[in-house]
Amino acid sequence: MKTFEEKWTAWVDGQLSGRELSEFEASLPDKAAAEAEKAGAVKLGELLKRELSVRPLTNEEFFSHQLRENIARLREAGAREGRSTWWTIPRLLWTGAASLAVFLVFTVVVMHEKNPAEESQYLTQILNARVDPVVSPNATVSIFEVKQDRVTVLWTEGLQSLPADYAAK
Amino acid sequence: MGRTLAFSLFLIGLTMGTTPVLRAAETVWSGLVIAENVAQPQRIPPELIRIEGSLKKFFGYNQFQVIGQSQKTLKTGQEDWLATSKFFGLHVDARGETEAGYVLNLKLYKEKELLLETDTKLSKRSPLVIKGPQIGGGQLLLVLVVQ
Repeated sequence: MKTFEEKWTAWVDGQLSGRELSEFEASLPDKAAAEAEKAGAVKLGELLKRELSVRPLTNEEFFSHQLRENIARLREAGAREGRSTWWTIPRLLWTGAASLAVFLVFTVVVMHEKNPAEESQYLTQILNARVDPVVSPNATVSIFEVKQDRVTVLWTEGLQSLPADYAAK
Repeated sequence: MGRTLAFSLFLIGLTMGTTPVLRAAETVWSGLVIAENVAQPQRIPPELIRIEGSLKKFFGYNQFQVIGQSQKTLKTGQEDWLATSKFFGLHVDARGETEAGYVLNLKLYKEKELLLETDTKLSKRSPLVIKGPQIGGGQLLLVLVVQ
């Protein structure tokens, strides 16, 4: 069983029909005043619907809104980048490793190029040799290199032979 | 932690690349050696062990005895010294040091008589052997080694 208020609301909304409508209208003490009130309520409802509904954005407003959001995003990213440095820990490690690798490569290249020059310095070199021509007029000198033991030998021939006594300490 | 490690690696590399090789003072052993063939050869002197094979192969003797020697520690590369036996004297005059070794002037004297003179660049890794005069059944050898 509906109350009067419920029936009134349904009547204002135009939801009563048939016998229910005629019974309700018959129960109204002043039908003309009720009709005027119903018309006012309907007008008010339409006005509220029109004024309070969400207004759709126009194209210009939509793009302006998008633009503002992009600008805000870019500003935020810029601020983040300004705070951080390029020298992150992984980059530092990679740079260090790369520097070492370059250093080793250059060291190997330099050592490799230096070795052939060192070969001549590897063995002792005889620059010159002289034998007293008066004491040993027929003496000759030769130079040998024993690369296996890295020994350089100055070989003399024709030096004056001496008796065994000269081997004394 | 990571930055410290990277910085340490960089520093080590830099140090390795720029630190010059430090040289210690080196000793030159110079000896007058009599090489002979004997029935029972004595043990070779320790200074000659590293060139024993070459000595035996080159000169054909089985015994090598030191009759005079000198050990000189070179600090400036300009030192001179004498290795002597009863009748022979080997005068060594160092005339500078190079990266490979020492420039030496050698003079072999028999008493006061100059028998042989030579200039040599003695390598730190390469001994020098000089064949001297025949003495009895053996041979006088002059040996210089950077120890």
